[in-house]
Amino acid sequence: MTDTATELQRDAVPLRIIRRLANSRDLTLFILVLLLAGVMAAVYPNNFPTASNMRAVLLNLAPVGILVCGMMLLMIAGTFDLSCGSTLALAGVWAGVVASPNWLDLGPWAGLLAGLVVGGIAGLINGLIVTRIGINALIATLGTLTIYRGMTYVTAGTGVTPISDAFAVFGRVADPLLRVQSLFWVMLVIAVGGGWLIARTRFFRQYYFIGGNARAAQLSGIRVDRLILIGFVIMGVLAGLAGVLYAARLNSAVVNAGVGIELKVITATVLGGASLKGGEGTVFGGIMGVLFIALVENAMIINSVGVFWQGIVVGLVLLFAVSLDRFKTPGRG
Amino acid sequence: MVSRLSVSGLTKTFPGVMALDDVSITVEPGEIRALLGENGAGKSTLGKIIAGIHPQTAGSVVIDGVEVRLADERAAGELGIGIVHQEGSLVPQLSVAENIFAGRQPIGRFGQVLVTDMRAAAAKLIAQLGVAIDPARRVSDLSPAQAQIVEIAKALSRDLKVLILDEPTAALTLNETDKLFEVVRKLAADGVSVVYVSHRLAEIFALCHRVSVLKDGRLAGTRDVATTTTDELIRLMVGRDVHLHRDETVRVPGQVVLKASHVGAGAMVRDASVTVHAGEIVCLAGLIGSGRSELCETVFGARKRTAGTISIGGHDYRPGGTWDAKAAGIGMVPEDRKTSGLFLGMDLVNNIAATVLDKVSDGARFSESKAEALANSFVEEMRISTPSVRQVVGNLSGGNQQKVLLAKWLAMEPQLLIVDEPTRGVDVGARAEIYRLLRALAAKGVALLVVSSDLPEVLALADRIIVMAEGRTVGELPGATASEEDVLRLATKFTASVAAVRATAGVDA
Repeated sequence: MTDTATELQRDAVPLRIIRRLANSRDLTLFILVLLLAGVMAAVYPNNFPTASNMRAVLLNLAPVGILVCGMMLLMIAGTFDLSCGSTLALAGVWAGVVASPNWLDLGPWAGLLAGLVVGGIAGLINGLIVTRIGINALIATLGTLTIYRGMTYVTAGTGVTPISDAFAVFGRVADPLLRVQSLFWVMLVIAVGGGWLIARTRFFRQYYFIGGNARAAQLSGIRVDRLILIGFVIMGVLAGLAGVLYAARLNSAVVNAGVGIELKVITATVLGGASLKGGEGTVFGGIMGVLFIALVENAMIINSVGVFWQGIVVGLVLLFAVSLDRFKTPGRG
Repeated sequence: MVSRLSVSGLTKTFPGVMALDDVSITVEPGEIRALLGENGAGKSTLGKIIAGIHPQTAGSVVIDGVEVRLADERAAGELGIGIVHQEGSLVPQLSVAENIFAGRQPIGRFGQVLVTDMRAAAAKLIAQLGVAIDPARRVSDLSPAQAQIVEIAKALSRDLKVLILDEPTAALTLNETDKLFEVVRKLAADGVSVVYVSHRLAEIFALCHRVSVLKDGRLAGTRDVATTTTDELIRLMVGRDVHLHRDETVRVPGQVVLKASHVGAGAMVRDASVTVHAGEIVCLAGLIGSGRSELCETVFGARKRTAGTISIGGHDYRPGGTWDAKAAGIGMVPEDRKTSGLFLGMDLVNNIAATVLDKVSDGARFSESKAEALANSFVEEMRISTPSVRQVVGNLSGGNQQKVLLAKWLAMEPQLLIVDEPTRGVDVGARAEIYRLLRALAAKGVALLVVSSDLPEVLALADRIIVMAEGRTVGELPGATASEEDVLRLATKFTASVAAVRATAGVDA
């Protein structure tokens, strides 16, 4: 061990705690989320822990949470998709166009299907550009970000409003007990299911290998390009699903839905433990990232510090969390 | 007379590791001193301390009777200490000339870089090495051998007193190695002291005056090259005798596993035919750039075949990608374990499981316990020294990394295993282990196709030697009776045209 300085076998106690937290971003965030929620509940017992506030928080974070599941998969493989917000809007608008009696009037289920298919195609195009043409993901999806948004405008001008009451049911159906609408429950199912798949199945384990070393993965007999293509399609379908449910909840497919959401999604994903180099991250971490950002925003609104401070606080937390990586045991995922 | 370089009581600790422990050596002006030792013995660390890259924990470095405290590599450079790194220190996007004069470009009246002057000066330095590389070319366009020459030229560009060469020949062909040796001898004749870090014994005998052997961070002894022997040096390095001799047991080859006929793949592989039987070790020998690795990649499905036929076990074989090769029972241990072999940031368990995900899964579910059991069995079988199978592979020594890389492919139980440079950057002890493993595989009936630039290795391992030159297989020799000369004669069959190819590639060999 001359060239690579091996890390300390034993550290001082505070450093050990920092290292432990740095090694497990999910855990760190989980603790932070609990702390923040606890403080908020104690300071604002009348505003924060109310059913209506909780419902609002959960519904607002749901589309971001759905997108984070796909983004986490891509970032584990060492890539990402900036166009997901535009895909969300495009899918929502197409769902509206297909379902709305004023347009194609093919019924709510056809609308849902159209949204998912449009999302899937958008993802497929991203994936083909990245894997077949070989343009890097930043440029490729920056391009499709504006293209898909443009196609949204071209398709529906100012949007599809209203769509139809039958279609709106998809987004408005709520559970009888907590009365939280479908968007959140769908996100929960995807996060739990996707989290399990990504962490535990051999198929998705391959994405960690690709992010760890794409060339070595290729030479290990892993179909790198095909898996990345599949990753982009999954991202696209999830964006489509989020777009459909978002449009259904409002009973309106707005053309500027999801503007800027991609950066929020990437922030949450990185906060949750993904690295731009790939090879690490968990869906649980990503969801914790989403939850944390949602709570910070909610806190800002409740104590009326003002919306303007949100960005500053979220940005600082992101930088802080990433700088914790310096204390990481080298190479630990 | 005052010694040029005198190191005394040098100690260096990295967190948790004692890399150097009370090492003292003196080097005279004009001496070529070898630093020999296994990977992890501390030889590179010693070189880096002398060159100011690492600060020492204790002890002193004295140059021409004056103790020096070096802040960094640049300060060392100003004192006339140059180093050529093992890892390389070139910026691939910049030109050769800019790399050589990094930070010290000749500057005109307005602070502009005098490109023409710089290129002329660079060309002159490179010419000193007996080669020609266009100084305007980008380093990323160079071959590894050419890049190494630029590294050396970069160190030469200073007014040198001490030159440290850390494994400089790893990527060089024999021809280029000879050129390098000439340059080093010339420098020594001019009074430069050379510290030559290597674990290639043959080079040390060919080049150096004295040799200091390090073992586990301590100086195990210094010997005059003229009076020492290979066996003595190996004993000093490893503390035991290691045999790199041929294994005399006769293997009986079985059925044909790989039959490649007149295979072509782009410019690098033009017409190569190779047959490998079960239970047989076939070595592909040849100069660097002769197309050996590219032929292997073609067989493995990582490179598109453009001509010829390949059959595996008698069946026609047309891989669409590496996964088809894997399905056909072919494994390939690539040449560069860091960039194309291992997942350095992941642990042994995941590295070994990468090729056998189906084996370590219950249905769709990846089974951590099965993967761990698999890794544990390989750690034991291959004597990989690691604190646990959850250790990150990047923290292991070169020899142990190479064993993990082999384990990764042994796990899938291939019928044909291609091994590209099985012991590059691996110490003597691990090397013997790897030979033992490869022989055991052959004994079990695996067909082995081994690429090696190390001729003693080829002669020690091969049942048959197939020599490539310029993308063509040019001859076959029986492993038991071939000599290094025989192999080289075939490998340089197209010497004239090789020179032509080099010239167009920018190196005048």
